[in-house]
Amino acid sequence: MTTLEALHILVVDDEKIIREGAERILIKEGWKTTIVESGERGLALIKNDTFQVLLLDLMMPGISGMEVLQAALQMQPDLLVIVITGYATIENAVSAMKSGAYDFIPKPFTPDQLRIVVRRALDKIRLEREAALLRSERERSLQDIANEKSKTLTIINHMADGVLVTDQKGSIVLNNPAVTRMVGWASKNPLGKHVSEVVKHEDLTNMLKKVLEIEDVHEQGISQEVAWGDPPTTFFMAHTAPVRNEQGDIIGAVTIFNDVTRLKELDRMKSEFVDMVSHELRSPLSAIRQKLSLMSDGFTGDISDEQKQIVGRVQHRIDGLLGMIRNLLDLSRIEAGRLVQQKERLVVPDIIEEAVELMVPEADKKGVTFEVTIDADLFPIHADRQNMETVCGNLVSNAVKYNREGGRVTIGARNRGEFVEIQVSDSGVGIAQENLGRIFDKFFRIRSDYTRTVVGSGIGLPLVKAIVEAHFGSISVASELEKGTTFTVLLPRAIT
Amino acid sequence: MARILIVDDDPDIVESVTMVLQKNNHEVLQAYGGVEGLEKAKKEKPDAIILDVMMPDKDGYEVCKELKGDASYRDIPILLLTAVVSKIPSTTYTHRMGMETEADDYVDKPVEPTELVRLVERLLKQ
Repeated sequence: MTTLEALHILVVDDEKIIREGAERILIKEGWKTTIVESGERGLALIKNDTFQVLLLDLMMPGISGMEVLQAALQMQPDLLVIVITGYATIENAVSAMKSGAYDFIPKPFTPDQLRIVVRRALDKIRLEREAALLRSERERSLQDIANEKSKTLTIINHMADGVLVTDQKGSIVLNNPAVTRMVGWASKNPLGKHVSEVVKHEDLTNMLKKVLEIEDVHEQGISQEVAWGDPPTTFFMAHTAPVRNEQGDIIGAVTIFNDVTRLKELDRMKSEFVDMVSHELRSPLSAIRQKLSLMSDGFTGDISDEQKQIVGRVQHRIDGLLGMIRNLLDLSRIEAGRLVQQKERLVVPDIIEEAVELMVPEADKKGVTFEVTIDADLFPIHADRQNMETVCGNLVSNAVKYNREGGRVTIGARNRGEFVEIQVSDSGVGIAQENLGRIFDKFFRIRSDYTRTVVGSGIGLPLVKAIVEAHFGSISVASELEKGTTFTVLLPRAIT
Repeated sequence: MARILIVDDDPDIVESVTMVLQKNNHEVLQAYGGVEGLEKAKKEKPDAIILDVMMPDKDGYEVCKELKGDASYRDIPILLLTAVVSKIPSTTYTHRMGMETEADDYVDKPVEPTELVRLVERLLKQ
């Protein structure tokens, strides 16, 4: 792109004084100028070189100015021609303008007059160039938008998930092939039609209606499982979210459909298996445990202290085994995404207190004491009650089990930004650094003289972690050998 | 002294419960399945029933429902013996199910003998 400085002006005039005077004035302004004394020479230059402005005397011997003008414009249509003409021949100037000259300057002229007229021509060139630049930029960004649009469309059209976009009235503005395959429109072309018209599905229509009515701008949208067919043969997980404009007003909704039919089937099979195992493992263990109680409680006659101790130990191990089966079932269920059954607004202190209460008998046996500190203004959380009981129960029970005689369990709950933090610390044996990274692994148990005496399954912490993560929270651990261990759970606060 | 029916498909459980209750001077009737349990309950009209939930022929919920739905047996108190039961994440829900089937009380297996005796005594007082 040539800059303004690179502009080249050609002066064609047979009068030496004018020619050279003009050259002096123009060069002084910093404009590159070439002068010639005849139309022939001028045209020859124009043929081989590019000029932006031509100062052309109309009255010259040889080829006339008008002829030069026409020939020059033919060669360079965007050339700005300023004709130089005497006062007596103003009509010539007019006809030159009609033939495509840009401007004229009467002869004789002052340096200022020349500067003004040339500058005006140069300004025009600059503006034209700027306009051209803007035009091309606009074209380029339009092109970019078009490319981006085409890219997005390709992505949407090749997604395995169904995509459905509706406007604020619930009319369809975009749908991809996957969603068409999934829902099977009632009409050939669903575009522009209201959802309820082309999809005969009340749950879905209601869901879309509900999402358009969400007032809270922080609300993410609605996720819901919808069954298809009568009786249901296909199941979709539909996630719908409002689309908002800059003012925060809802202008439509985007709905994504996952086909979860196979997952549900697997889930059902897994659940059947889990139920089978639960019954088959638990029943005999329960029976064994039951019979041992008869012995230890003296229903089968007196037993010696030694026998009683052994039976008690066996009972304890069986209890551990039963607990492990329960945890294992819970874990397999949460892995199947089924454990989080019912989220509700929960108050954390209640759950902590319950967990502590359950562990008081065992803590008393070891002389372990509790210290619970809960912020008065603690946020409620949105979670499954039983899940949270499992989380707090496991953490508190670990803190007691792995504590030293006469130790202390410190439990704290406080607000941390958008999260509720629950911290459970013990003054127990601690966890060695090399084991710290593995304690959330399934079936990992630290082997030591100390832990050998503690009944555990190696499933409690993985279960806690799985639950916390299923609630979009996190869990971390810090520990120092011989000093104690601290577990920190962060759970998102309930949206008010 | 009361007449108590124990219904469980696991003979070891039946035997254990029987032993505990007999030691506490109760007369114990035994049934090893839901169908048999229902039959015995109707025929013998015991003072209380201890009823297992998971049984292959007829589960405890059904037996319970049938007895509670019949005016002549409605007043027999029932204690449900529960375990981790299908499609339910934890025992709390099982208990709720027990409540919905109008059982008078429920307890998780295995149950300590002293706890069993306490629950039965409470059941008989109702």
